[in-house]
Amino acid sequence: MQLNRVGIGLIAFFGLAGLAFAIVPFAIGVPAQVAAILALLGVIWVIVAGGLVLYARHARRKAAHQDWVFANGIRGTATVLDAGSNATVNEMPLMKLRLDLDIPGVGGRQVGRREVMPVFAANRMAPGLVLPAYFNPEDPNDFVLVW
Amino acid sequence: MGDASASLSSFAAEHGLQAVASVDAGPLTPLLVESGAGRITPAARGPLGEGVSGAIGQLVYTRNKTFRFAVALTEVPASTAFAPRVFCIRSGRVTRDDEFYGFEARHSKLWTESIVLNERYRVATSPYQDQNWLRQLFAPAFVDWLAHSAPPGFSFELAYGALLCSTEEADPDPTALAALAAATAHVAGRIAAECGE
Repeated sequence: MQLNRVGIGLIAFFGLAGLAFAIVPFAIGVPAQVAAILALLGVIWVIVAGGLVLYARHARRKAAHQDWVFANGIRGTATVLDAGSNATVNEMPLMKLRLDLDIPGVGGRQVGRREVMPVFAANRMAPGLVLPAYFNPEDPNDFVLVW
Repeated sequence: MGDASASLSSFAAEHGLQAVASVDAGPLTPLLVESGAGRITPAARGPLGEGVSGAIGQLVYTRNKTFRFAVALTEVPASTAFAPRVFCIRSGRVTRDDEFYGFEARHSKLWTESIVLNERYRVATSPYQDQNWLRQLFAPAFVDWLAHSAPPGFSFELAYGALLCSTEEADPDPTALAALAAATAHVAGRIAAECGE
């Protein structure tokens, strides 16, 4: 997953509005009880913004790692044995894949994998489809599926 | 607003295509996904240009607002092995008005090597795209054509061999449809040629 423009907007909105709710009522002398309620709301919004930032950072680190595996990994293949989805994440299918991996120099084995994909990519996932895959040379369980 | 069916029928008759009520393309590319069912209607099937055939017509859908595109759909099957996804979208194009989600699948990466191209388009590819192949596809002559000769509002989406070219014409006349068909044939020919290299 990666942050998009809407995500940046959401972080900015929750972060800035949350700070405003938390600080401004006290600064302009709003009655203490009202200011406390607004401050609580503001803190919750700031926490939401912080959570989104943490998730975005985690996604960025994961993407950087996948880029590294792609650049330095062993190129093999993954044959789709079974594909299905019964959940969506942000309008995109969460695909459950059963894959037959073929890793040069290591061998083959079957694994399960979950990937969130856009609809146009998910529609292609059918048994028999052979996809390129890049394997971490130090850990063949760590691989990038190129769909 | 003019009569889209009449324009399409006129274009089809003039260029040897068969007018049909609709073409259910399905969710082959991002724009077709945005439209829901990916139904092109009214539509015509047949030759779009030299050696390129497909469907052309209107894609209309509502995502808060109603969006209207003139689209042409064809196939370049050989491209999947070289470039699973290439999206060359006019800068500033909006395809939905109901985007609420802050995170999306990491399915594309912006390609910004060509300044001329980036003045008019946002080009995105698979994060694991062979960059050399992309440089060869976007050779100077093709970039020049995209920048200066493509129809106004032109964009194209290549996804797993399906090529959808589109313009932002709400009510394309036969001339605009002919320009879109010719542009689609040009892009398909360029991609096919690069795959054959």
